[in-house]
Amino acid sequence: MTQVPPPFDPELAAALEAIKDMISPSLTSEEIEAVRTGPGIQLLGELDLTDGGFFEVEDRAVPGPEGAPDISLLICRPAAEPAAGPRPVIYYVHGGGMVLGTNRVGVDGPLAWARELDAVVVSVEYRLAPEHPHPAPVEDVYAGLLWTAEHADEITGDPERIVIAGASAGGGLCAALALLTRDRKGPQPIGQFLQCPMLDDRNDTPSSYQMAGLGIWDRTSNETGWTALLGEARGGPDVPAYAAPARAEDLTGLPPAFLDVGSAETFRDEVVAYASRLWQAGGVAELHVWPGGFHGFDGFAPQAALSQAARAAQLRWLRRILG
Amino acid sequence: MKELAGRLTALDPDAGAAVRVIAYFDRLSESRAGLEALVRGAAVLSGVPARLFDADRRVQVRVEPDGTRQDSDLPPDPGWPSAALTPDGAPALWLERAAAQPSVVDAVILERAAGAVRRVLDRTRGRAPIDDPALVETVLDATAPEAARLHAARRLGLDPAGQARALAPYDGRPRIAPAHPETEPPHAGHRLGIGPVVPVLDLPRSWTAARTALRFTADGTAQDPGARVVHADDLGGIALLADLVVPGAEPPPDVRAVDTAAAATPWLLATLHAVASTASLRAAATEINVHHSTLQDRLAHAEQLLGWPVRTPQGRLRLQLALTMRHLARA
Repeated sequence: MTQVPPPFDPELAAALEAIKDMISPSLTSEEIEAVRTGPGIQLLGELDLTDGGFFEVEDRAVPGPEGAPDISLLICRPAAEPAAGPRPVIYYVHGGGMVLGTNRVGVDGPLAWARELDAVVVSVEYRLAPEHPHPAPVEDVYAGLLWTAEHADEITGDPERIVIAGASAGGGLCAALALLTRDRKGPQPIGQFLQCPMLDDRNDTPSSYQMAGLGIWDRTSNETGWTALLGEARGGPDVPAYAAPARAEDLTGLPPAFLDVGSAETFRDEVVAYASRLWQAGGVAELHVWPGGFHGFDGFAPQAALSQAARAAQLRWLRRILG
Repeated sequence: MKELAGRLTALDPDAGAAVRVIAYFDRLSESRAGLEALVRGAAVLSGVPARLFDADRRVQVRVEPDGTRQDSDLPPDPGWPSAALTPDGAPALWLERAAAQPSVVDAVILERAAGAVRRVLDRTRGRAPIDDPALVETVLDATAPEAARLHAARRLGLDPAGQARALAPYDGRPRIAPAHPETEPPHAGHRLGIGPVVPVLDLPRSWTAARTALRFTADGTAQDPGARVVHADDLGGIALLADLVVPGAEPPPDVRAVDTAAAATPWLLATLHAVASTASLRAAATEINVHHSTLQDRLAHAEQLLGWPVRTPQGRLRLQLALTMRHLARA
C-alpha cells in the first residue's frame, strides 16, 4: 500500500501550516472531552446566526425518537415574507466525528446558501457518542427530519423540497438518513448533500493509510470516532448500514446525491467508492474530488481558490436540485 | 471536526502573529504558489484588500480579504502601507489600509509577500519578459509601419507610451528588456550587446545600437580577451569605428600585426588586453598574475613583434584601437 500522499494544494498547505498548533491530525478518545470544552465551541457561540438580521432564529424542542428525550432544532428562516410560496428547506446535520459539536457548528455554510436561495435552514442537535452510541445519533437526526417535514408550513418551508445536508460525520449521518427514510417510507428529501462524508467504519482504504498523521482527521481520529459510535463492533461483520452507509448492500431508490472530498484526506477513497456505487445502483450523483484538498478545507480556508471553487460547485448543485 | 477549528483559523487577522505570517508565506513559496495565491495571502492575513501592480511586467492582481479576485483601475493610495519588489524599486504591493497606523504585522506581511512575489516573477516572467519572436521582430523593424509596431508592442505587454531597450545576444533571438536601470538584463556569461533605453517606437534605433555594441564584445577567454557585455551607451565615439571596419574583409594592418604576433606567442593577447584595459602596468601585471618585471619583459618582446611601442600614451591608444578593430573585423 502506497505511503506517498498526494501534495496539499499550495494555499491549503499554507493554511494548514497556520493552524497546525491549534488542530492536530489525530484525535484520541482521551482528548474528546478537552476539545468539547475547548475554545472552539466558545467561538462558535459568537456566530451571528441572524446574519445581520436577515434570518429569524429560533431553537425549538421537538419530539425525539420513541422513548428518547426531545431534540432541539435550530431554525433559521429569512425574516422577509417568502417571495414565491413556501421555501425550500435545508435540513442540516453538523460534523464532529460523531463525538463533537453542536447544531451551530458549520451552520454558516447552509445559512449562506439559504440567503442565496431564499431557503429555511433547520439544524438538528443530535446526541453524541460515546455517551450515546449508535443508533442514538441517526435516530435523533431522523426524528428531526420527521418533525421538519410534518411542520414545514409552520416555518415557511415546503415539505416537498427538503434537501438533507451534512459535512464529515454530518455527511455520513445524512447518507444514513437517506437509507433510513427510504426503508421506513418516511419523508423523501429531494437531494442528499454529502460533504466529505464519514461513511466507512472499517478505516482500511488506501487513502486512510496514505494520509496517516497528515492534514485533518487522519485514521487515528477516524478510529476514535467510529469506536465511540460502535464500540467493539467497529470494523467487524455486524455493523448496520444505518451506522456506516458504506456497509449498505442496496443503494437503489435514493435521492440525487452531491458528494465532495479532497484528494488528500482519509475519506477520499470511501467517498469515491460510495459515489461509484450510487451510479452502479442506477442512482444520480455528482462527485467532486478537489486536488490537494484536506478534510474540510473549504471550512478552514474559505478564501483559498480551491475553496471558492468547491463552494461555487456546491451552490450550483443546490440551485439545480431546488429548481 | 472541521468547523471547530474553522472558527479558530489563524487566517483570522486577529491571530496574525508575525511567526504565523512567515510560516504561511514560506509554505506558499515552498509549494510554488502563484501570484494570486500570494496576494490573496496578504489580503486574508491583513484583513484588507491587497494589490500587486508591477508596471514593468504588466502584472496587476487585487484580492479582497474574503479571497475573491477584484481588480481595480483606481490608482493605489500613496498613504497605504506598501512594499517594493527590489531594494530601490517603486512600491508594487499594497495593503489597502486607510489611515494606516504603523503595524508590525502589516510590515511582516508586506515583506514576506513581496519577497515571494519577486521570486515568482523572476521564475515565471523574469527570464524573458517579452518573448514572442515574430512580435519582437516587428517592434524592432524600422521598416514596419508604425501602427504595426505599436500593435506588436501592446501584444508583448509593452506600454506604447513607455520606454524599453533592445538586447542583441550573440547566439540567440533579439530581446526587449524593461527600461529600469536597476534591472540588469540577464546574460549568463554569453556575449551580449545592450541598446540604449528609448521610447517604445524608437526601439529599432536601440536594436541597431545593440547590434553594434555586440560587435565590440569578446568571449572573455585568453584567446579572445575583452568584455562579454557591452552597452551601446558606453561606446561614445568609439562606435564610429564600427562603420570603418567591415566584418570578414581584409583587416587593417595593425590587426594583422596583432594576429601574427598572437599566433606565435600564447600569452600575447591576454597580456596586451590587460595593458590596454587597466589603469597602470602594475594593475595589468596583477590582472594576469605575473610579476611586474615579467610583464616588462613580455611587453618589450611584444613591441618588437608588433612594431610599435605599447607603453607610451600614443602607443597604448594604437594598441586599444588595434584590439578593438580586431573584434570588429571578425566575420
